[in-house]
Amino acid sequence: MLFRRSPHALEKLSKELRQLMLDTTYIAGSAHIGGALSVLDIIVALYNSPDLNFEKDHFILSAGHLCLAHYAVLSKIHHISEKQLQTFTQLGSIFQGHESTDVPGVEFSSGSLGQGLSFAAGLALGDKDSHVVCVTSDGEHNEGQIWEALMFANKYHLGNIINVVDYNGIQIDGKTEDIMPLGELAAKYLRFGWTVTTVDGHDFTSLLKTIKQAKNSTIYPACIIAKTTFGKGISYMENNSEYHHIKNLSDKLYQLGLEELS
Amino acid sequence: MSHISHNQASIRQSFGDTIYELGSIMPDLYVVSMDLRESMRLTRFANKFRSRFIECGVSENNAAGVAAGLAKAGKTVFLASFACFSPGVNWGTIRESICYNNANVKIVGGYAGLMAGVLGATHQMLEDISLVRALPNMEVFSPVDATETAKIVKAIARTKSPAYLRIVAPETPLVFPPHLSFTIGKSNVLKKGRDITIIGHGPILTSAFTINKPSLEIINCSSIKPLDEKTILASIKKTGRCIVIEDHQKNGGLGEAVASAILSSEVKCKFAHLAVDNHFGQSGKDYHQLYSHYHIGQKNLENAIKKIL
Repeated sequence: MLFRRSPHALEKLSKELRQLMLDTTYIAGSAHIGGALSVLDIIVALYNSPDLNFEKDHFILSAGHLCLAHYAVLSKIHHISEKQLQTFTQLGSIFQGHESTDVPGVEFSSGSLGQGLSFAAGLALGDKDSHVVCVTSDGEHNEGQIWEALMFANKYHLGNIINVVDYNGIQIDGKTEDIMPLGELAAKYLRFGWTVTTVDGHDFTSLLKTIKQAKNSTIYPACIIAKTTFGKGISYMENNSEYHHIKNLSDKLYQLGLEELS
Repeated sequence: MSHISHNQASIRQSFGDTIYELGSIMPDLYVVSMDLRESMRLTRFANKFRSRFIECGVSENNAAGVAAGLAKAGKTVFLASFACFSPGVNWGTIRESICYNNANVKIVGGYAGLMAGVLGATHQMLEDISLVRALPNMEVFSPVDATETAKIVKAIARTKSPAYLRIVAPETPLVFPPHLSFTIGKSNVLKKGRDITIIGHGPILTSAFTINKPSLEIINCSSIKPLDEKTILASIKKTGRCIVIEDHQKNGGLGEAVASAILSSEVKCKFAHLAVDNHFGQSGKDYHQLYSHYHIGQKNLENAIKKIL
């Protein structure tokens, strides 16, 4: 809603934001870059959706370590300079290493996984005139609290909540199917009383369409399982859990990343 | 107020009655429950204010998150369970979703301390004060009796910050004068004296009221955080002796907070701390029996007084 761009223009914007995130990671010296590159297109699509208005609706990033993607989007909306964004993780910066309400547009500080969906559910119950969009990660579904929140949203018929799962198949120590298999996640959501749609998490046309459908699900809470690529856009990071969190990206890898994104 | 009343009343009933009363005058007051509505005396509220009584079932982490989300939507939220579950189970969610996000949630921990009696070690929460005291943005309260409970509930319902209220299950003696007011961050001297300053929180403090000699100055430290260092230190400066008594672990309890305040000041005194010393509890007939067993009973206080003189 804030960008109101065509899917084609969003792809261009997404590429620009990836460069910004890579620059920020390089300058700041560390970031959870792999997941942030994975979730970026989801966040870009949500903020561009004509069906949502985050002046009134709510955006909750439950997987707080993905904050760099959210910060990059918010920096465009709130006209925050690249230089300021690049204070990321420095002492005194509003851009904390995990999602923080110090940043304009952030409504919930997060970092410990599994908490955001409960918060989103409480907010959806307390503010029924708005929609609450929560972004979780697939690895985050290891947390029991997620499943508590799913039952709660079903019990209270929270048709105004949308949970978008950034499903990239990677968590800190490796593949989610090795660490803790999620099984048939869509079927589990259905059994918990949610509507669920699986979508390509890097296809803006599909994402925007799915967001519209999810918003129109006014009786049931809605889940969007967005299939994404961990480290999207930078070949050496893609599907490589070593890039969950990186420190001191070398000049060589930084340049290689920039070339791939340009 | 110089002697103990023979009247007893229930702190948790006072909590439930006060919440019910506030429900009528505060349209944004919500209660989030974790399948312990009757144990927390919330049935009347639940029946009258159905849409504002949110039942989460036995899911303390989700409940804490839901409470924080409701607070974000502008509600004043009381999150009520047993202390062993909240903050006992959901401390990480309280830390992040409530305290770090500075959510207007009042966590009410029931059945606290050895007063949980027959329920045994799992339910006798002796570490709650320690857990919540450590959290930035959090205020911590532990009422001495049913009268003060009503006053504290009303006071914290008007603030916007996270708070923890520790309450107990059995009926306990009434010592808080009805005309006296409760102020956040203030401790009341409930009995003036010369020889020893007795400081405590919760109904265990009432054991000091039955002792007539020596002359005890009894401070009801129901506002554990913020701590009224001024009142505490002024009394200790006068008496030169301090005994802190609490139905809680020594580690992280009020005694450590008072000791830190004393050591950081110019005041010199003799000091004793009566609390559970690195043990879990167990089932017992009643709290009197358990207090004796864990050396925080009436006799133990009398002995500590003799020793410190």
